[in-house]
Amino acid sequence: MSIYLPIAELSVNIFLLLSLGGVVGFLSGMFGLGGGFLMTPILIFMGIPTNVAVATSANQIVASSISGTIGYWRQGLVDFKMGGVLLIGSFFGSILGVWIFSKLVALGQIDTVISILYFSLLTSIGMIMLIESSQVIRDRVRRKTVKRKIHYHNWAHKLPFKIKFYKSKLYISAIPPIIIGFVIGILSATMGIGGTFILIPAMIYFLGMPTSKVIGTSLFQIIFVTALVTLLHATTTFAVDAVLAFFLIISSVIGAQVGVLAANKLRGEEIRALLAIIVLGVATKIALDLLVEPNEIFNISVIRALF
Amino acid sequence: MNLRIFFFIKLLVLAFISSASALVIGSDEEEIYIDANFSGKNLLVFGAFYSDPSQARDYKSDILIEVVGPSEDVVIRKKESFFGFWLNSKSVEFNDVPGFYYLSSTNEITNEFLNENNIGLLNKKDTQLIDWSALNIDWGNIRNEKDKESFYDALIRTKEIEDVYRKVNGKIDIIDGNLFRSYIEIPNTVPVGQYKVNLYLIIDNKISNEYSYNFMVTRVGIEEAIYSFSKNYPLIYGLISLLIAILIGWSGAEVFKRFRKV
Repeated sequence: MSIYLPIAELSVNIFLLLSLGGVVGFLSGMFGLGGGFLMTPILIFMGIPTNVAVATSANQIVASSISGTIGYWRQGLVDFKMGGVLLIGSFFGSILGVWIFSKLVALGQIDTVISILYFSLLTSIGMIMLIESSQVIRDRVRRKTVKRKIHYHNWAHKLPFKIKFYKSKLYISAIPPIIIGFVIGILSATMGIGGTFILIPAMIYFLGMPTSKVIGTSLFQIIFVTALVTLLHATTTFAVDAVLAFFLIISSVIGAQVGVLAANKLRGEEIRALLAIIVLGVATKIALDLLVEPNEIFNISVIRALF
Repeated sequence: MNLRIFFFIKLLVLAFISSASALVIGSDEEEIYIDANFSGKNLLVFGAFYSDPSQARDYKSDILIEVVGPSEDVVIRKKESFFGFWLNSKSVEFNDVPGFYYLSSTNEITNEFLNENNIGLLNKKDTQLIDWSALNIDWGNIRNEKDKESFYDALIRTKEIEDVYRKVNGKIDIIDGNLFRSYIEIPNTVPVGQYKVNLYLIIDNKISNEYSYNFMVTRVGIEEAIYSFSKNYPLIYGLISLLIAILIGWSGAEVFKRFRKV
């Protein structure tokens, strides 16, 4: 059974959409990732136009991050103040990002830029995850426990505009979180991602936030970044496909909840290693599309039509 | 269902017999509606012709059917290799090209004939015959004739792959010597707007008679409503999309919270 997507202007199989949303949702619930970094390229592989894939992914992430935030908030693991400061940066970042995006669409370079961005991003994430999970597995085999420093003192403590973040037990400058938020905003608008996998390490290593609060706080701020990105895309690139978003949201929300349940029962490292391999596979496919001579070197895009 | 109409047309043709030649046509459709389940449609074009009353009916007369869809502007971009990466580089903008083009004839019609009579844009084998100045094209930095041809060929080729440009022979049935009938495939990829059907009666390689009429292709249904809403009220559309996301995200968390407690 297929369904017609009014903005993407093509028909896709409904079960394919639901399973894509379900799997991506499951992974995001399991690892606390937004899942946009897998959703967008897979949508593009399915033939959905790049701009629609990016804008609609942002809309879908709004739903999955709300769902996730509620779970962490109930456990008291969201630092709203830190989320708010990050958002100041994200607000301006996403406006800049959507502006860059529409310029690239006009130049006809959006597909290439998105491919290169995704290739770099997925390769780095995949490699990091693979190395990290294999180390954990190896350490577990050797029955070694790694001791981690609880508190970092770095440059984030020396800059001006210091704010007290009680929840995270931090007293740091507002500048680093604003810059981090700004970068996340740009990435979110251009790539249709929440940016958790960049945000989480940045919050741990640059801001020194406690790991337990990081996922909830990042999910919290992603709700607002992706909501803003959705609105900006709806009004400037007209690329948000509500029908596509609806099916992805339904399936990803269910998938995410199942993923959260599974995360409590399963051991993470093996699955993380598997996810790393999937991510690297997607990266390889993107690289091949860029490097192999295409069958058709010409492509067409309609710039004015009567509607 | 069309037998009665055929009979009617035949009567009309007989009435026209006093003139040198006659062409009368009918069609069963004035508007085609595209909804989500639209998978293409066969548009029936039928009519009658009578070539020369002073001589016996001959089959040398040909019928040519041309269907031209609404015009659009398109950009053709060419990918080139930069340090191993295939990137879009040169581009050409073609303005006012038909979004749909269909040409069929009872017999093979030569490109020379089409060019002489200003019919057809599918003469891709003879690009040197094309008068570029007649087309509204922004060549950008393309000067070379061969490059121009390659871009024009690419336009025709991509449109053919999308199934919106077609040139067919012999898809017209001649019944009883002077009645004709043809089914024109309208695929689900066609653009919306006004379409023009041009019919030509060709005798001895000359257009003896022609007739034109229009039909509309319109999108209908919930999908069309969503599409036009997103264009006309983008902010409200964006807010509704968000609201749906928020509601489903929230209720998902609530439903599973209860589920987990049980």
